Formats: sequence, structure tokens, C-alpha cells
Amino acid sequence: MLASIPSAIVIGVDGIPVTVEVHVGNGIPGLTIVGLPDASCREARDRVRAAVMAAGITWPNRKITINLAPSDTRKVGSGLDLAMAVGVLVACGELKADNVAGLAFVGELGLDGTVRPVPGVVPRVDAVAEDHVVVPWRSSADAALVSGRTVHGVRTLREVFDALAQESRLWPLHPVPEPDVVEQVVADLADVRGQDALCDALELSAAGGHHLLMIGPPGAGKTMLASRLPGLLPDLDARTAMETSRVHSAAGLTLGGLVTRPPFRAPHHSTTMVALVGGGSESMRPGEVSLASGGVLFLDELGEFPPAVLDALRQPLEEGVIRVSRARFSAVLPARVLMVAAMNPCPCGEAGRPGACRCPDGLLARYRRRLSGPLLDRFDLRVHVDRPAVAALLGGEPGTPTAQRAERVLLARERARERGVEVNSQLGGAQLEEAAPLHIDAENLLKGALTSGRLSARGLSRIRRVALTLADLGGHRGPLLAPQIAAAMALRVDVTGTNGIAA
Amino acid sequence: MSGDLPGATDAAFRRLSPAERTAACLVGLAHLPGLGPATLRRCHLEHGAEESWFDIASGHHRRVVPVVEQLARMKPAVTDKMLKEASTRDVVADLRRQQQPGWGLHVLGTRAYPERLARDPDAPAVLFTCGDLGLLSRPTVGIVGTRNATLAGRQLAESMAAELARAGVAVVSGLALGIDGASHRGAIGIAADAGPVAAVGVVASGLDVVYPRRHLDLHRRVASSGLMVSETPAGVRPDAWRFPARNRLIAGLSDAVVVVESRIAGGSMHTVDEALIRGVPVMAVPGPPGAPASQGTNQLLFDGANLARNAADVLLAIGVDPHLGAAPPHGSAPPEAPEPTPAELSVLDVLEATPSSLAEVVAATGRTVEEVAHALSTLEIAGRIGRSGAWYEVSAAGRSGR
Ligand SMILES: [Zn+2]
Repeated sequence: MLASIPSAIVIGVDGIPVTVEVHVGNGIPGLTIVGLPDASCREARDRVRAAVMAAGITWPNRKITINLAPSDTRKVGSGLDLAMAVGVLVACGELKADNVAGLAFVGELGLDGTVRPVPGVVPRVDAVAEDHVVVPWRSSADAALVSGRTVHGVRTLREVFDALAQESRLWPLHPVPEPDVVEQVVADLADVRGQDALCDALELSAAGGHHLLMIGPPGAGKTMLASRLPGLLPDLDARTAMETSRVHSAAGLTLGGLVTRPPFRAPHHSTTMVALVGGGSESMRPGEVSLASGGVLFLDELGEFPPAVLDALRQPLEEGVIRVSRARFSAVLPARVLMVAAMNPCPCGEAGRPGACRCPDGLLARYRRRLSGPLLDRFDLRVHVDRPAVAALLGGEPGTPTAQRAERVLLARERARERGVEVNSQLGGAQLEEAAPLHIDAENLLKGALTSGRLSARGLSRIRRVALTLADLGGHRGPLLAPQIAAAMALRVDVTGTNGIAA
Repeated sequence: MSGDLPGATDAAFRRLSPAERTAACLVGLAHLPGLGPATLRRCHLEHGAEESWFDIASGHHRRVVPVVEQLARMKPAVTDKMLKEASTRDVVADLRRQQQPGWGLHVLGTRAYPERLARDPDAPAVLFTCGDLGLLSRPTVGIVGTRNATLAGRQLAESMAAELARAGVAVVSGLALGIDGASHRGAIGIAADAGPVAAVGVVASGLDVVYPRRHLDLHRRVASSGLMVSETPAGVRPDAWRFPARNRLIAGLSDAVVVVESRIAGGSMHTVDEALIRGVPVMAVPGPPGAPASQGTNQLLFDGANLARNAADVLLAIGVDPHLGAAPPHGSAPPEAPEPTPAELSVLDVLEATPSSLAEVVAATGRTVEEVAHALSTLEIAGRIGRSGAWYEVSAAGRSGR
């Protein structure tokens, strides 16, 4: 007897349909899996057998061969377990093939017969052609995000067997599972006092998609500021929401619903390269950068990240995707992140302030050398963060609330869309020329900076993009003015400069 | 006496003149770890340079009273290191290394030893120089201050040094970053067509070791057309203990010491102490209250140091006619800078108190980032403020232009 059951695997963030073909015949009893299974997939042999027996069904004492098609794709992970078990039961006549028709199965089996969640339920369900999909109960809400599918959440293999035993297929009714991750509450910028310039920089970053580097001593509130950035970003559009949900699902998170708010990820500097950029196992699981796609990637203590890791970030930041390739596979993972980073300027915390920093010159130079020029160049905004004055903390006026700033961000992004881009940081050279003409004073200011060597040609277009976002936020139309250019330049601190120590 | 000496060195040593032998032994002693200037001087004056060297090199250091007294305060590990070092040194080679063209080696108590230091209570037993010793017979002023100086501080040090040099004063400093470097630069800039530049660099390393590396060029220029002074033998890096020792030489070589900028506990305060011990007048440049770079100098003024607002104040204090050094009058007056706007004035107010970042100026003035940034850029172009890294600070012109 032969059975053919649809399922899917996930590579990177993409589901790939797989057909589980089961043949039961005569010969030495046993179970063989062919069709490029990886180690965890091959171990299905033991899980499937134990789960079937735990469900109270007699294991057919015959020669069973399972073929995973298409045979040229490596089958990774345990998500095909359930389909294999169902296939065995159909092939040996325990279940009728007709009752199983039109159904796809996703899930891992425990030795006790439970059906367990696997990473990537969203892309898997998306990949199968069948309208009805049987998934682990805990993943049922996530699977339901894929439009046009009827999802049946199950807890045990026995439940599946009972439902498929009758033609009517009565599926068990379980309550909707609680999500693992509760949506993070983003704190308001109104309770940030005495840091107006920094809040403005955050708003600029959110409005124009400008990567932001904050340089300042511990206790200046860099993390506090960065964590408020997602509040300034608009809701994810439908496409990005689905993409982000797929990524999070592929990474093994249970979503509990469509991800509609920009994610915020803050990997520690001890995070491995694989955990950061993804692609560790053969399933090419997405890393932190992809998990932040559509939202904010916050790298605290940037200088502490290994240089190789920082190097690996450059290409994704440029292209918006991560290309990982291993011996047999390659995958393209999304990486459209707004990068916010923080670093300590020096051990004494005065950051080279003339007359106040007590650090020897060599030490400051060593701190600066940790960051490569090309990486620093990616930050359109580089601002110095100081500990706010005590007076501002105690008696200062509250800052502008997040909602008010978010409204301006939304309007500024609308202006960018009129120019054919999502945010101003994506404007190409020609588009920028057209979108950001310069007032004569602004032009003279830039000329002066270029002549004195304080500004490079590369820096020039970055300055113009930031100035354009400033103009958009201020509701200004027409050629860019000198104050806008001056602000854009002042918000791009020369990190590698001599920091006030005269040579 | 030299019976314990290794053969080869012995023969070479015997071919030296008596003066050279003393010099060689002093250079050898100066190389020894743990043997500081005071002990070295006592060895030279009380026990004799040659006797001291050979006693220590042959392990009979207990015969050398100053060394024994010094050893009593030393860790045994350092003692071992010193004895080991002494037993392997070739003092003839050490002396040869010191005998380079243009270099001088001066032994305390000989006629060639600079008179200024000969009278010093803490005079080095041996002094290494490079350049024109004649500079030391001019009036001298030490200009010192913090390494991490403000722009205005550096500019003031430079112009003050230039004016002093123009008035015929030799400017003494330590070739460090910040105020030191600015002083040397100012003095060098006033090179007369003939004759040396009025810059005296006192360093903690051997004369052939450049520290800090960023001052390689400055080091070369002072050595080639001014005067370099050190009590550290050639090839030796500046260990931490050598900097305070160097500071006493700056004080000892100066008719007055001017502190341009210093924190309360800065290294310049050590130079001040050394000057006070020697009765050398101490002067200080006033700074804005609250500015970290001026806390030390303002404290000095409070404590009674002389006020040094400009070069004329300093020249008066050392008895030189200030008009000698008057700058040649400008051909035409500089163009009038436009009146600062209210935004620019409020920015200047903040920066005069202390160097600040953009965010700090925004917070302190309550103005927008655009307003502040525009004011900053206009002031920078006008030369009233300077910028380095994240920091904006008033220039000397910005300070006096109000
Ligand atoms: Zn520091």
C-alpha cells in the first residue's frame, strides 16, 4: 500500500512543500527514511513509532519505506513527523486515504504521542497547496495568519487519528493558545527630560530611516532613548507585517497574531555571529538582524562587538537582506532594519571633552579604532549624549510626547513616498538632486565644509538627506536652508576626530 | 678597585680620560632601575661616580651609603633587578651612545654644567642636552598646563609664547600634548633669521626617544633649532616616575612658571610645587569659573599666584620691558565682524563656561537644534569658536571679542 501526505519544511524564512510518500510492503520489518533527511529528520523513525504506539494503535510489523519528495532538497528538522505518522497509518490501512485527502500536516511528535510546535509554522502553512492544514495546537493561531487556509489545531496523535477515523472528520475544539511573547510596551518620550536634542535625533531617525549612533557615558540614557524609538515608527504595512510574522515564526517564536508593530531587538555584544545574522543550522534559521527587520536593531556597546560581527553587518545594512550560504544551501533573509547603536567614548566618561577628560590620548585612540570607518559611515546621525543636567531631571518640563512626534514622522514619511521611496535615506543621487535643492546660503555652507576638508563627497549626500528629513518634519517646502544643513552637519559628529586633544 | 670588572669592558674603560670615566659611570648609574636622581646625585657627590658604579656592578653595593639608604626603602625584587642590570651593562657603550653630533653631556660640578641648574638643590648629576645651551643665559619662562587643553587655552599659550620669544625670552616647556606643545609651537614660530629659536624642551625620555609620538615633528624642530634637555640616558623610554622628575627641571630652568590651564590635581600642579620650593614666581592664567580646565589655575590665583592675562604681565614679572616684544603693528585693521545675533550670543555664553556638545547647548539655551547648529556654524566660520569631535569651545578670539 502507498500513501502520499503533504507537508512542508522551512529554509531561512521560506516554506518548501514536501510530499511524504509511505510504502508498506513485505520484507524484513523496519522503517527506512530516504530523500535527503538530516539527522533530526532521520530520528523521526523512533519518534513516529513510539507516538503511534502511545496513541494506542498497533504498529505494523512490516517493511516501511518513507520517501521525502522532492528528493533534491535536504529535509531539515522534525516538522514532518506528523505527516509521516499519518502516512504510515494510511499505508497500512488503519486510516482511509479518502478521509485524509485535501489535508496537509505540520508538527513534531513526542514519544508520548503529543504533537509539538516546530519553528516556521507560518511559512510552512503558506507553502502547502491544501486548504486544510493540521498543526500543533500551540501554533494554530499563528497558522491561521495565512489567508485562505482552514487550520485544525491538535494536541496528540490520538486526536488526529480519531478525527480522521470517520468521514465527517470531527476535529477537537481547543481554546485559542496564549502567545509566548506579549507585545512590549514602548515607553513615552514625554518622560525624557533635558534631552531635547536627542529626542529630535530619534524623531529624525524614525522619519528618514537614518541609522543613529549615540556616543556617551554610562548613565546618559542611551538605552532608555533607543527603546523609545519603535514608538515613533508607524504600524507595519500589510506586506511588512506578514514578512515580519514569517520571520518571527521561522525563528521559532509563537506569535499569537500578526506582528503589526515594528519589532525592537537588542542583541548583547556577546551574541554569536550566527545568532546575529542567522544561517546557523541547515534550516538557515533567521538571526537577530532579521528578527528586527521592519523595526529597530539596537546594538548597545557597539565597540564591544567583535570586529568580524560588525563587518558582517555592513552588507545587510546596505542591501536590506542577508545572504547566507552554506555548502549545500543558500538563503536570503530580510534585514530591513533601522540600526541604532550606542558606545562609550572613553573610560572616564567625559569623552575627550577639552579640559575635562582625564584619559590618555593613546587610550582614546584605541577606543576610536574599534569602529571601522566604513561602519561609522553608515550612521547618518552620530550624536553625543551627555548625562542630563540635574536641574532638568528634577524640575524640567516634560518632553514632547511620543504621539506628537509620531504624527510628524508619519507626515514626513508621506513626503518621502511622494518622492518614490519609503524614507529619505533611500533616495538615490539623482532623486536627491531633485528633491533637495539648496538655498544659496546652504550651498555656501556646504562648499565651505567641503573646502576645509570637514566634509567628504560621500558625507555630502548623507547630510542632504538628513537636512531634507529635517525640512519634512518642520513642514518646510522649497530649497533647503542653511540652518537645516548646519543641523544635519552638527548631528554627524566626527567620531574619529582628535576629540579636543591638540597634537 | 676595578678588579672585578669583566675583561673587555675593563680594557676599553681604561683607555677613557678621567672625565670620560666619570661620565660613563654616571650614564651607567642613570640606567639603573630604582636609582632616582637624588640617589644618583649623592652617589656622585659623596661616594664618587666611578666607585659607586664599580661597587654596585660587582655586587658590593653595601659600600655605597646613598644606595644602601635608598635600598632600605626598596622592594627586594627591585634591588635584584638593579644589581642584575648593573652587572651586565657596558658603560663604555652607554657613553658612546651619548656622544652624538650636537649632543652635550654635562656632569654636575664641572664648568660646562649649566649655571642655572648648578645652583639647584635637586640638580641632576648628569645632564644631557641637544642644541644651543646659550638659550639658558636668556631670561626664561616656563609655560605649562594640561595635556587635554581647551582650544582657547592652546591658542593663548601659543600667542603668549610667541610674544615672549619676540621679547627675547626662552620659553621652557615639556613637549607634552596640549599646552606644552602649543607653547613650543608659539616660540618656534618666532624664529629670528639667524640664531636659535627660543624654545627649550625638557623631556622625561632619552633625547633620541620621541614621546608622545604625535610630537615627532615638534621634537625634531626644538632639537635642531632650539634646545632639548633631559637627565635620562639615550634610548630610555619615559617611565612614569620620570615625569615628576622632569617637572622639577622645568621649574629649575625657569625665571617664572606660567600655568595656562590645569585641573585641580593636574601634573602642572606638581611643577608649581617645584617652582615654589625654588622661589620661582608662579603665574596663572584666569579661566571661566566652573570650567574643569581652569579649576587649577583659578585656585592658584585664589591662593595668591600672580595674574598672567597676557605676555606683558609675564614680562613685567621677570623684569623685561614689555615693549621690546610688542608685536609689529598690523598693516590694516581686521575687518569688523558682524554683530552676533541673540542666538549666537546665547551660544557663546554657554561655551564660555565650558566646552560643550550640541545637545548640551540645545538644553542650556532652550533653542532648537537648527537654531543652535546654525549659530555654531556661523561662529565657527568667524573663528570665534572651534570644534573637535563632538565638542564646541570658544577660541581666544571668541573670548576676547565680546
Ligand atoms: Zn575620558
